[in-house]
Amino acid sequence: MVTTTRIPAQSPPPERPSRLRPVLRGLGEVCITLGLVVLLFVFYELRVTSWFSAREQARATEQLRQRWQHDPADAEEPVDPVAGEGFARLHVPALGPDFPFTVLEGTDQSTLSAGPGHYAESALPGQRGNFAVAGHRAGRMAPFAELDELESCDALVVETDSQWYVYRVLPLRGEVDGWDPEQRGRRCSGVAPIGGPYQGVLGRTVVEPTRREVINPVPGQPRGTVPEQWRSRLITLTTCHPRYSAEKRMIVHGVLTKRYPKVADRPELKPPELGR
Amino acid sequence: MYAWIWRHLPGSVPVKVVQAVVLVAVVVTVLLFVVFPWVEPMLPFTDPTLE
Repeated sequence: MVTTTRIPAQSPPPERPSRLRPVLRGLGEVCITLGLVVLLFVFYELRVTSWFSAREQARATEQLRQRWQHDPADAEEPVDPVAGEGFARLHVPALGPDFPFTVLEGTDQSTLSAGPGHYAESALPGQRGNFAVAGHRAGRMAPFAELDELESCDALVVETDSQWYVYRVLPLRGEVDGWDPEQRGRRCSGVAPIGGPYQGVLGRTVVEPTRREVINPVPGQPRGTVPEQWRSRLITLTTCHPRYSAEKRMIVHGVLTKRYPKVADRPELKPPELGR
Repeated sequence: MYAWIWRHLPGSVPVKVVQAVVLVAVVVTVLLFVVFPWVEPMLPFTDPTLE
């Protein structure tokens, strides 16, 4: 007689009815979702804001064009900016085809989302003192994204209703000592370290966000200490630094080297500094 | 969470897929056009001006 021992087929051990599992899964899903939302925010910050800004910038440019067409330019009258509206065009040939941008009056967030904004208390283009402009470095079309690539003597051309003002970037740190205009060539004519109260005003610096004195009429000097007739005609551009952060500010200073009046009948005439 | 949503979508699988895609699109749109523009000014990333 053969006896077989039969082992009953075992069913897999019953799943422990764990309460924890769905909770853990839910938590994991929430974490993944939050990660995706953060990624989407980065995309929004760098790309989507630029789409909104491009529309606003185009609208400001169109308004400015119409104003310039309807209002014949009067060279004697200085430009009269209206808060939140464009009043000048900034051309920076060294920064490539993204330029020119229409510069608007004011530096509040909504104005800056439409393009570079003029610090309302600073000088106007061409005036003695400091024509100061802020612009985004990342997102919102990032007009000043590549400000760190500017070199001394690069042209910063400001177009108003009646004039072209050619500013050029001042000598950078390290170039000030032994700056020889002869050696630098024609491109740099009119550019040199400015002495006196302007000592220490460099082509490009990085400062703390609280250093608002860099946009004073004479950068770094308290307002009103230098009489107007002694002031140079400067341009100052401010943006975030490092890129994608707002920890510090990058400051670019330029000095006015040339001025061309616009010719009303020949609007296609452009300064040679802009190239072809 | 996602499994729960999937189970509660009505209809056959292709219909569910379409609904899921629409849901994702709605969420993304609300984030991009409502939530992010509202949140952003409170974050310290983008101020290029001097204080």
